[in-house]
Amino acid sequence: MTWALVIRSLFRHPVRTALVVLGIAVAAALLLDMVMLSGGMERSFSRMLLSRGFQIRLSPRGTLPFDTEATIPGITPLLGRLHQDPDIAAAGPVVAASLHARVRDSLVTFVGYGIDPSSQGLYEVRSGDNLSSTDTTGLLISTPVAERTGWTIGDSVTLLGRLDPQSARAGIERTLVVRGVVRWLYDARGQRSLGANFRVVQRLGPFPDRDVASMVMIKVKTDLAVDRVAARIRSQHPGVEVNSVATLVRQFRARLVYFHQLSLILATISLVVGVLLVGTILTIAVNERAGEFAVLRAIGLRRARIVGLVMAEGAVLTAVGSVLGTGLGLVTARFLDRILTSFPGLPAAISFFVPAPDTTALAAIVILVAGVSAAAYPAYLAARAPIAQTLRADAE
Amino acid sequence: MPALIAAALLAAALQSSPLPGVAVERRLAERFHVAVGDSLALTPRAESPTRWYRIEAIYQPRPDPATALRGEYQVRFHLPEIAGLLSAGDRVDRVAVATRTGIAADSAAFRLNQLAFGYQAYPSATIASESSQTFAVVSRFHRAIGLIAIMASAIFLLCIMLLKVEERRLDAAVMRMIGIGRLTIFKAFVLEVTFVAAIGSALGVGLAWAAGTITNLVYQRRFETALVFSYLTSDIILLGVGLSLGLGILVGAFAAARLVRTRPLALWRRAG
Amino acid sequence: MTKSPVILARDVVKTYQVNAQTITALRGVSLSFAAGEYLAITGPSGSGKSTLLQLLGGLDLPTSGHLELMGTPIERLSDAQLADLRLRRVGFIFQRFHLMPVLSARENIELPLAEAGVRPAERTARALDLLAYVGLTARADHRATQLSGGEMQRVAIARALANRPALILADEPTGELDARTGAQILDLFDRLHADGTTLVVVTHDEHLAERAARRVHLLDGLVDRDEIARR
Ligand SMILES: Nc1ncnc2c1ncn2[C@@H]1O[C@H](COP(=O)(O)OP(=O)(O)OP(=O)(O)O)[C@@H](O)[C@H]1O
Ligand SMILES: [Mg+2]
Repeated sequence: MTWALVIRSLFRHPVRTALVVLGIAVAAALLLDMVMLSGGMERSFSRMLLSRGFQIRLSPRGTLPFDTEATIPGITPLLGRLHQDPDIAAAGPVVAASLHARVRDSLVTFVGYGIDPSSQGLYEVRSGDNLSSTDTTGLLISTPVAERTGWTIGDSVTLLGRLDPQSARAGIERTLVVRGVVRWLYDARGQRSLGANFRVVQRLGPFPDRDVASMVMIKVKTDLAVDRVAARIRSQHPGVEVNSVATLVRQFRARLVYFHQLSLILATISLVVGVLLVGTILTIAVNERAGEFAVLRAIGLRRARIVGLVMAEGAVLTAVGSVLGTGLGLVTARFLDRILTSFPGLPAAISFFVPAPDTTALAAIVILVAGVSAAAYPAYLAARAPIAQTLRADAE
Repeated sequence: MPALIAAALLAAALQSSPLPGVAVERRLAERFHVAVGDSLALTPRAESPTRWYRIEAIYQPRPDPATALRGEYQVRFHLPEIAGLLSAGDRVDRVAVATRTGIAADSAAFRLNQLAFGYQAYPSATIASESSQTFAVVSRFHRAIGLIAIMASAIFLLCIMLLKVEERRLDAAVMRMIGIGRLTIFKAFVLEVTFVAAIGSALGVGLAWAAGTITNLVYQRRFETALVFSYLTSDIILLGVGLSLGLGILVGAFAAARLVRTRPLALWRRAG
Repeated sequence: MTKSPVILARDVVKTYQVNAQTITALRGVSLSFAAGEYLAITGPSGSGKSTLLQLLGGLDLPTSGHLELMGTPIERLSDAQLADLRLRRVGFIFQRFHLMPVLSARENIELPLAEAGVRPAERTARALDLLAYVGLTARADHRATQLSGGEMQRVAIARALANRPALILADEPTGELDARTGAQILDLFDRLHADGTTLVVVTHDEHLAERAARRVHLLDGLVDRDEIARR
């Protein structure tokens, strides 16, 4: 009976109700998008950093991983000490250098990653084979490399290192065999990156002191030990920067503070729009139907029931609106994500809008709560109106 | 230019030998309370040895959106000084080239690129367009978000205008019954709606101006920059006002037309 | 009459505050009546009939004086208790019918039943019984807005009867109806009275007043005459 009253009352003004639902849907969509945006970047960044389970990064003092061309010196003894730590499951060094190759008539530049294939958190093999730990002649390429060069698995290719900028003559050459095609987890869209044994890239790179790494990725045995291990490394090796994924995410967040604030402001605005819509429409509806509410009270409905009826109208409006809005929000999020992920140099694995059941539910619940609370004022108006007087006024 | 880390900044303890001079930006001077004549220890890396410099000038860099948000500070050196500090030897990051009048930057850059390896020449226009790529993305994003916001507010406007006219149902009935013509009533309602939309638009422009001013104040303080973050251009005002006035009047007219087309008695009944 | 009164009013005063002006609608009405009575309240326009009826039904509170509904002083009842009293013990009939326009005839009657916690099957059966009682079985599923005035009033009567109230209060129930339709409603009231319902009817209608066993005439907010009709 209650629902018949509520639903049919809403259908009395179909155009009006449809507009309100639509308005709430757009507000809910914007809210969902903004909730996704506020948490999404961090979530996808952290997911990307943790994608192969390495929770700690060591980088040259004062830098973030791959932020500069600086390197960590004395890497062999450092790795030795890290391997002795009982909490550490794996420590994979990475060295990055510009490498080149002659492809047909032109000189193509690549990012060369030197890795330890047995403990690496940098790539996933797409086709072909991974390198073995002792393989110093193997090469890993990515799809953008294959597309640019035409190299395929089994090809022997010559890489040039330490290119002299004046003469374009290579300081060192090395012929390697393509073993597999991989996806580099941190590469930007279309970035051309190669991978080879750590020692090979150390030799090819422009490093006067050869025993260096650009970064070390560390896998700790249990997540609980991450902070402890990070603190221990920090005190034992003051010359390196130690960052857990959590601290990296924090720094990332600081850089994207703009999006955070934008999402906060827009989420607030969309909530305000939703609340205003439900509030105004129901206030007007309640005023129009003041006589009906007085009759309901006269035939014995309690004040609380009147409050319930009006709130239920608000709830139905927002519920339908937020269901529509969730769909709309997911669609627009994909569209907005496509725009933002075209930032130059952004790792392809990062998204700004990450759909997740909990954020979706959160946004829906927030808009529902807002909508129902927006109905509180008109509900109060309806319940508080004096019966006798309202009936008299309605009869005039 | 690689990031410089100001490791230790000391106010002028009188140095015996003359120190090489640097210029620091105003924000840095304010942040670390240093002035012209003070000396400054700088190092490219925390573990590298520091070198001492004397502040010869404090300058205000041109606001640059690309660097404003990074929270870095700028120091300017004489070229040999920074080369020495970085032990970079005889190299530079960039050389600015001005062509003789009448020579196109594109063709000059092309010829330079053919001349030798070791550098890449770009016309300034190309660099400008590449470095503004990030901002192009952000602005595309803003436009998309703006579109959604416009949709939400347009619907809100539709609702309000519809209700505004429907509220006058009884008035319309009374006017019809005492013999006032449909067109007159319609005109009266449209006039009313126009009035409401106009006042609303004016308030909206005021609100936008206030929000923009607050945004600018907050962000300019936060990032210590003179950059303007929010511009309320005449285009935007025109779009906002045009949209709300146009949509408002359109919907108002639509609802008013519906109202005057109904039979007066039916109006009466639905009003009761 | 030995039964305890359904309503007991002593020196009931009701004033309204309009802007700075005080309007006295009732100046001290004393009245009591027992279960099973059929009472007509008459009087010129503005004499306070509707005001009195609203007080008797607990829709409003007196400014001063003593008023007992079903043996309980009204000031001792909370808002929720008053609502329950209206739901279960009092039935209202209005001049303007006041049905819920979005509900059908049957649903309008079921509404107070549902509110009183009657189960769906049971309340549908009772609503249909009541529709039969007022002679509207055929219109059960018509929306209130699709009925004529007389039909609406009959549905309103059925709604008032839904929870078997001890007291029916009607304010000019025939005011909006033509003579023939009005007569049908009066016949219905006679039947209700015969079935033992206590009826208080405010009316300008002489025919209606004549049918009541007791007539209370209000004048200027006071009881002017209170007479038992000789039949
Ligand atoms: N809510 C109110 N506010 C102000 N004055 C009121 C209010 N209700 C009633 N009155 C006044 O109280 C007096 C009695 O009104 P009431 O409606 O009881 O008269 P009535 O006898 O029912 O008249 P009618 O036969 O015209 O229905 C009138 O003067 C009326 O103007
Ligand atoms: Mg009256």
